[in-house]
Amino acid sequence: MVAFEVPEVDYTQYSNRQLIAIPLVVLAVALGVLAVTFAMTGSPVALGNDFTGGSELKVQSSEPISEQQATGIFGDSVVSVQQVANQNQYIITFDNTAEISDLTTAAEQAGGLTVLQSGSTSPVFGSQNQELALIGVGIAFLGMSLLAFALFRTFVPSIAIVISAFSDIVIPVAIMNLVGIKLSLGTVAALLMLIGYSVDSDILLNNHVLRRSGGFYESTYRAMRTGVTMTITSIAAMIVMAIAATLFGIELMASIGIVLVLGLTADLMNTYMLNVTLLRWYKYEGVNR
Amino acid sequence: MSALRENWRIVLLVVLLLGSTVALFVPGAPPGTAANETAGGEQLTNLQYGIDLSGGARIEAPVVGKTAEGIDVGNQSQEAPAQQAIANQLGIDPIDIEVRAAQQVNQNGTVEVFDENVTTDEFRTALQAEGYQPATIREGVTPETRQRMVTVIQDKITTSALSGGRVQEVNSPGGRNFISITAPGRDAQDLIDILEERGTVRVYAVYQNSPTGNWTQDEVLQQNDFRNIGNAQTVNNQPQVPVVVRQNAAEQFQSDMSQAGFGSGARCGVEAGAHDSVDTINATCLVTTLNGEPVFIGGVEPSLGQSFADGTFANDPQFVMTTTSMQDARDLQLSLQAGRLPADLDFEDGTQNSLSPALADQFRSNSLITGLLAVLAVSLVVYGRYRRREVALPMIVTALSEVYILLGFVALAQYPLNLSHLAGFIAVIGTGVDDLIIIGDEILQQGEVGTARVFQSRFRKAFWVIGAAAATTIVAMVPLVGFPLGDLSGFAIITIVGVLIGVLVTRPAYGDILRSLVLDE
Repeated sequence: MVAFEVPEVDYTQYSNRQLIAIPLVVLAVALGVLAVTFAMTGSPVALGNDFTGGSELKVQSSEPISEQQATGIFGDSVVSVQQVANQNQYIITFDNTAEISDLTTAAEQAGGLTVLQSGSTSPVFGSQNQELALIGVGIAFLGMSLLAFALFRTFVPSIAIVISAFSDIVIPVAIMNLVGIKLSLGTVAALLMLIGYSVDSDILLNNHVLRRSGGFYESTYRAMRTGVTMTITSIAAMIVMAIAATLFGIELMASIGIVLVLGLTADLMNTYMLNVTLLRWYKYEGVNR
Repeated sequence: MSALRENWRIVLLVVLLLGSTVALFVPGAPPGTAANETAGGEQLTNLQYGIDLSGGARIEAPVVGKTAEGIDVGNQSQEAPAQQAIANQLGIDPIDIEVRAAQQVNQNGTVEVFDENVTTDEFRTALQAEGYQPATIREGVTPETRQRMVTVIQDKITTSALSGGRVQEVNSPGGRNFISITAPGRDAQDLIDILEERGTVRVYAVYQNSPTGNWTQDEVLQQNDFRNIGNAQTVNNQPQVPVVVRQNAAEQFQSDMSQAGFGSGARCGVEAGAHDSVDTINATCLVTTLNGEPVFIGGVEPSLGQSFADGTFANDPQFVMTTTSMQDARDLQLSLQAGRLPADLDFEDGTQNSLSPALADQFRSNSLITGLLAVLAVSLVVYGRYRRREVALPMIVTALSEVYILLGFVALAQYPLNLSHLAGFIAVIGTGVDDLIIIGDEILQQGEVGTARVFQSRFRKAFWVIGAAAATTIVAMVPLVGFPLGDLSGFAIITIVGVLIGVLVTRPAYGDILRSLVLDE
């Protein structure tokens, strides 16, 4: 088995500007992706059935099902057909024009198809979910921000936590848009989980630098050693979960896993480039002002 | 003894682990479960599974109806005439109108219409024609009606042998309210069929009209005129169902009955099985129909008839309906109790999910495998990082015991587990291991730990970070608890409880374990 040590980064080699540029550019690109998506679709994220209304069937079929065949069986409301990895199960997604009872009847009459799972959300419920999810993420983010300020009571270290948590959420959402993962209730849960995870390593870093004795670089290295171990452990768990759940066709767990892997990776960058830089600036220049 | 006191955190952890074992594995341990239920069954644990993991259906749907608020409809005795009058104006069955007088002074009453074909304008016009001035008319029904829906649906589901079904009223912050129904082992369409079976119970007085001599069927009681339905029972070899009529309906009922000529009792002499409809009965009888079919046809005892005539029935408005068999008596009881939903559910504007038991079984075993693989991954990373078994092993064991205690809690609360809750478990393992790494690093990596005092100070420092991180996780999850967003509230509850168990019990206990390990060296 491979042992690993968290490498010591020589932060003195890089100027604040150099360090902060990368996470800021990535954040800007991510926001750009959201803006383009918003301009094209009227929503900054690609919304799934939970939020737009629509239906979904998971069927078992010995014969492969193409999108064309699905349209033949179910009509024009078919949006996509997706095979569950290595299994003869197919997830067929429909827009909100189809009636779920008609769809299950059609599937039963088609022959060779067994309906394993069916679900539908009405547009009314969908838009209500949208509203609630937005409020939920908003409240969670606000609560986290207030708590960050209450814990450190100084502007720069607290805002560093808030910005990095914001970026940790925006980056996975942008990547989801690019690779075509739609926002579902499960991914919203993952984004909220991300707020919790993201703040862990930030608080650890701030705590070591601000509340402990010792030089800035020494404190940073200590915090990094612990923080990077933490995040890598979580990433490892989430990669395994994402892969296993994808193979097993457990959509909810797979999407939570993927979003968390993306977000935690973004968190490594944000904590140890963005947050560290803001803290260094605060420690060496900001405090003296 | 002092060793116990010093390590009280470990003691607490062990106690909770034992408690969880009892909650999980001892049949009948969680309150509300029966010991024999699991004894012969195939279930190994006391865990409850939701539809994701056991198969079944969940439907969430708003109630069809409109409510006119801010209406002065007088007192409770005026409810029934108002209901009849408004129904006549709209040309609908009075059963689809509900009039509620103000419960308290300074409040106004409400009128609800449950017929979806009635538009707001028609409803307003009808109310105004009867002299009522509604302040507002809104979509949706009153909380009282929703509560009654929940009770009736619960009864319906229980009577149709769907064990373990759950019915809840859900209120969302936006002011939209709906009913959520979960039924294991059925698909959504079956569930809808059961709910849409509108069993309507009516009670008729059949008598010979005195001037014309025609047999007349007068509806004298409706389903919601009963205040209480007793259990089917056998008294003197007679199967019967005792019923209590509502006070305000009782007065109308007794005067209707005495006018119909039941004042001195009636010997009916007709068998319920002999008629398909109340219209073919030519005898002086009291007839109860379910969906138009007579289920009880009976006479009236002279003493009961006397109480109709002299108006004393309303003082104690109860009587019994006798049937020919106990089975009929039970059917009658169920029909009276759960015959009909007060209003329809709007399935098209709701959500529905169903999952076949086969797929749910797959999900159950596969998500267990997924969870174990994730734990294995965490263990490997932790071991690779520390390379010391005495640090890594307690870390993994502690993280697992956190999950175990959480499972015990879930079993104790009889909380049905769904996929989203399993995601919550994984979140708990994740934050748990994170925190243990913080404790481990803090204690091990700043030079040798000489004394218990040094240890204590380092542990306290680590705990500040852990507490702060736990607080943010809880703050991030709290908004979801109250939101009706699918299963997300369950996910949030599991995460919050898990984090609390971790911060209060298991993570401090890991500190103690580590202390005894490093101080021993």
